Amino acid sequence: MSARDDILAAIRSAAVPPAPPAQLPSAPVQQADGLHDEFLCVLNEVGGQGAIRAEGQPMEALLAERLGAARADAIVLRGRFAVAENAAVYVDAADLNARNDIVRAEHLVVIVPFSAIVPTMHEAMRLMPADSACGWFLSGPSKTADIEQSLVFGAQGSRTHHVIFDRGT
Amino acid sequence: MSAPVGGAHRGHAKSAAGFLVDAERAAWHDRSLWFMRQKRDRGTAIAEWESLRLAGSALKAHAMSRLADLLEEFERRATANGVVVHWARDAAEHNAIVLGILHADGVTRVSKSKSMLTEECGLNPFLEARGIEVVDTDLGERIVQLAKEPPSHIVIPAIHWKREEIGALFHRTMGTPAGETSPDALAAAARVHLRDALLNAGAGITGANVIVAETGGVVVCTNEGNADLGMHSAPIHIACVGIEKIVATRDDVGVLLRLLARSGTGQPVTAYTTHVTSPRPDAAMHVVLVDNGRTRRLADEAMRAALHCIRCGACLNTCPVYRRSGGYSYGHVIQGPIGAILAPAVDLDAHRELPFASTLCGSCADVCPVRIDIPAQLLAWRARSAAAGALPSGYSTIFPFLGWVLSRLSRFERAARWARRVQKVIPSSWLSGRWNPWTRPGRTLPVIADETFREWAQREEGRP
Repeated sequence: MSARDDILAAIRSAAVPPAPPAQLPSAPVQQADGLHDEFLCVLNEVGGQGAIRAEGQPMEALLAERLGAARADAIVLRGRFAVAENAAVYVDAADLNARNDIVRAEHLVVIVPFSAIVPTMHEAMRLMPADSACGWFLSGPSKTADIEQSLVFGAQGSRTHHVIFDRGT
Repeated sequence: MSAPVGGAHRGHAKSAAGFLVDAERAAWHDRSLWFMRQKRDRGTAIAEWESLRLAGSALKAHAMSRLADLLEEFERRATANGVVVHWARDAAEHNAIVLGILHADGVTRVSKSKSMLTEECGLNPFLEARGIEVVDTDLGERIVQLAKEPPSHIVIPAIHWKREEIGALFHRTMGTPAGETSPDALAAAARVHLRDALLNAGAGITGANVIVAETGGVVVCTNEGNADLGMHSAPIHIACVGIEKIVATRDDVGVLLRLLARSGTGQPVTAYTTHVTSPRPDAAMHVVLVDNGRTRRLADEAMRAALHCIRCGACLNTCPVYRRSGGYSYGHVIQGPIGAILAPAVDLDAHRELPFASTLCGSCADVCPVRIDIPAQLLAWRARSAAAGALPSGYSTIFPFLGWVLSRLSRFERAARWARRVQKVIPSSWLSGRWNPWTRPGRTLPVIADETFREWAQREEGRP
């Protein structure tokens, strides 16, 4: 028998009794207008920086203001939606030139439509495109605490991480 | 299997005694881990935490109950997505499959992000012996790899290294300035060193935190971004996965992602959570599904739930024994309380001491995000050790005697009276001799009270 058949046969002969699928826990009801505040607060805690682009505000001016000289080394990406509880933004490979852009960039900017925000990962998983070839939840810049648990940003991926909620579209 | 890790041959108690010789360092290690536990407590302070743990436990039990079906569904979907799926009965088959993929493309240099499975299978020494250079790219893993050590913690591999030592190691291996000890500077040097390895490797090997039957996808979580640099830069991505990592749906992934980082480091989620289902158009993707003893454990009802482990490290961080004995004292690729219930299934004889390396305080079960009852399994392994005649030395003489004394009340009462008298008349140096493991320097036997609790209660009740 092949390894595949052996393994599957061993699993079936273990005859584990049926166990029902999990029920998703219900999170406390959250006010929709508080989600951006929650997101920006958590983003700050995980070392990222957030901003809201007002209607009519030129994007390039906002980026120059937020990034300064780092603008030249920044990669700007489209994010599909944001998750308030953990300050993650979802980026899909379909929107990128190359998958490793998300980690090769010295500075990363993710622009997310203002209204595209959900409270938790439960809602987030359901917003992921069903046919996504590759997608990321990005929460803050690359970091490590492997040296005596001292937090260092820019371990291997982006050194700074910016999220801009776009009201202008 | 990989070689036994740091002192397996000596057993846990002897290795722990060695670890404790440097009292200051041992206290530092203890504090470092307790700091992690405190971060975990802050991170898990969300209203629905306990219902999330219940969901985590339930979705894992569900996945184990449908494991064969889910793996077939995963294989079907992954194959349709252009992924090559391989199956390995054991570590040797796993290593041979990986080598075969590398040989087919003439790859001589690979980058590897953190994977406890490849540690379990001894992949690095296997590939290195065949002329393939392997660079571990998680910073902590790179530190221990450069020092030719295994990880001492499943999440923080170099938790036992001090910054001065890392500075000296990097000076020797990466040419950083002598005496450099700033974590920022050392991490910056490692960034340059690792990017070179990551961007120029012929293949990127990763583990997987979760694989998903519903999508055929592989989910990888890192904070550094090294897994992404590796898998999206090299022409070949190989994900090495234990079969127990599968869940049924994306909904299930959401639950585990909410539990994992909060339990491990107190973060709400890792910086990078990658859900990859198809290779890049110009690249290949392989998934190696590995059994290596997992189906045996699945058939073992009392121990089955250990397969639910998501390797967050919370039980290590909270364990009073792990914190004070260090990862190497376990002599197994997975350390701490979870290691102490996983290792005996691999080799009960070699790891006979591990189920006893616990006070059964239950803290591990309290923090486990998928509610594995680790103390119950530790106890069950102790019973199996006794039944198999594989008790650690010392235990095999004292336990039958204690069992005889404690199994009848009159015998116990007589023994207690006798012990009280004897302790008063014989010199204390006899009781604290080298034969007695409970009275090493710094520890003395408490004085046995003049009357037993029972005697006291009878006297009190007899009062008017």
